[in-house]
Amino acid sequence: MPASSIQDTFVSLVNANRSILYKICRMYGATEPDRQDLFQEIVIQLWRSYPSFRGEARFSTWLYRIALNTAISDLRKQRGYGPGSPIDPEQLSIPLQDIQYASDKEEQLQQLYAAIDRLTEVEKALTMLYLEEKSYQEMEEILGISQNNLRVKMNRIREKLRKMTKEAAYGTR
Amino acid sequence: MELDSLKTIWKEQETPVVVPDPEQLAHLLQAGSRGPIARMRRNLRVEALLMLITYIPTIIAYLGMFDGRLSLISLFLFAVLCFYAVYYYRKDRLLRNMQCVTCEVRSNLAAQLKALRKYIRFYVWSGTFVILVALVVALATLRHAMQSKAIPVHWWFQPAFLLGVMTPLAIGLFYLNKWYVNKLYGRHIERLREMLHEMDEDR
Repeated sequence: MPASSIQDTFVSLVNANRSILYKICRMYGATEPDRQDLFQEIVIQLWRSYPSFRGEARFSTWLYRIALNTAISDLRKQRGYGPGSPIDPEQLSIPLQDIQYASDKEEQLQQLYAAIDRLTEVEKALTMLYLEEKSYQEMEEILGISQNNLRVKMNRIREKLRKMTKEAAYGTR
Repeated sequence: MELDSLKTIWKEQETPVVVPDPEQLAHLLQAGSRGPIARMRRNLRVEALLMLITYIPTIIAYLGMFDGRLSLISLFLFAVLCFYAVYYYRKDRLLRNMQCVTCEVRSNLAAQLKALRKYIRFYVWSGTFVILVALVVALATLRHAMQSKAIPVHWWFQPAFLLGVMTPLAIGLFYLNKWYVNKLYGRHIERLREMLHEMDEDR
């Protein structure tokens, strides 16, 4: 297959799964430049690993692994753009800015993201996969955690989120 | 907040992200990864290149200069260069094995923790050893030059005295390296360890 055709296939596959990337970047990136940077890093890692993708696993499973591995195991304390930065996010025109949602839905979504933000990195990954309605088997394939363990953790996360909402409603931490 | 009731909102949220077209992708890939491991590997390559650029001409120069009377210096420098070649190769291999993005998240974290611990051990020991090797080579070169010019070797240049000085120096360097490397990677190691512990616990 010619190189340009491989690139086209790759771009269309990533494009079809772009919502996954957006959500991961939004969950793991604290600021807009962080999210931009993480998005670029994930795309680079996906492209580099693309030759090893043989279609044995689902593309989305493969993509989740790479995206979550890149987001979770990042050594950087803080991403930032200095004057000498090789990539200017503005020039790349990959708009990742938050958009305005219809009030009710947006509020709920913002609350959800705010609550997720208080979870640990591992819990964030689990919540994301759960919200994406991945089966426990798929979660196991992505995270490498046994299904029994995943169920226990998911119950704990649900309880944690419920508690957080209660605390927020009563104005305590 | 009931997580199940939020699934629809989660799935329906707009995702304002545009995947780069092939041209932008090429631009992105040309800039290379800004990930920490990629950056560490790039720095290592630059360091190795600088070493080659400075050492090889010096080795050749000492071989030819002064009718080859200082050719022993070339040999010493070549030994140091060989040592560094092994050092860079090993360090690069450790960095290469540090990340497996296509693996399951848990095994990737475990592999990263293992590789990072090895990397730190190697960093501390080689960091101590490299300075000592360079020092020994410099002193041996100086001694050789003094002997060839029949300059008397003073008491402070005797091996026993130098050993007495270098032993505490080596210990000091070891602890300095250990402190520095922990300052660089200590928090990340702790974070990896905590994440793995969290993934493994089921009670």
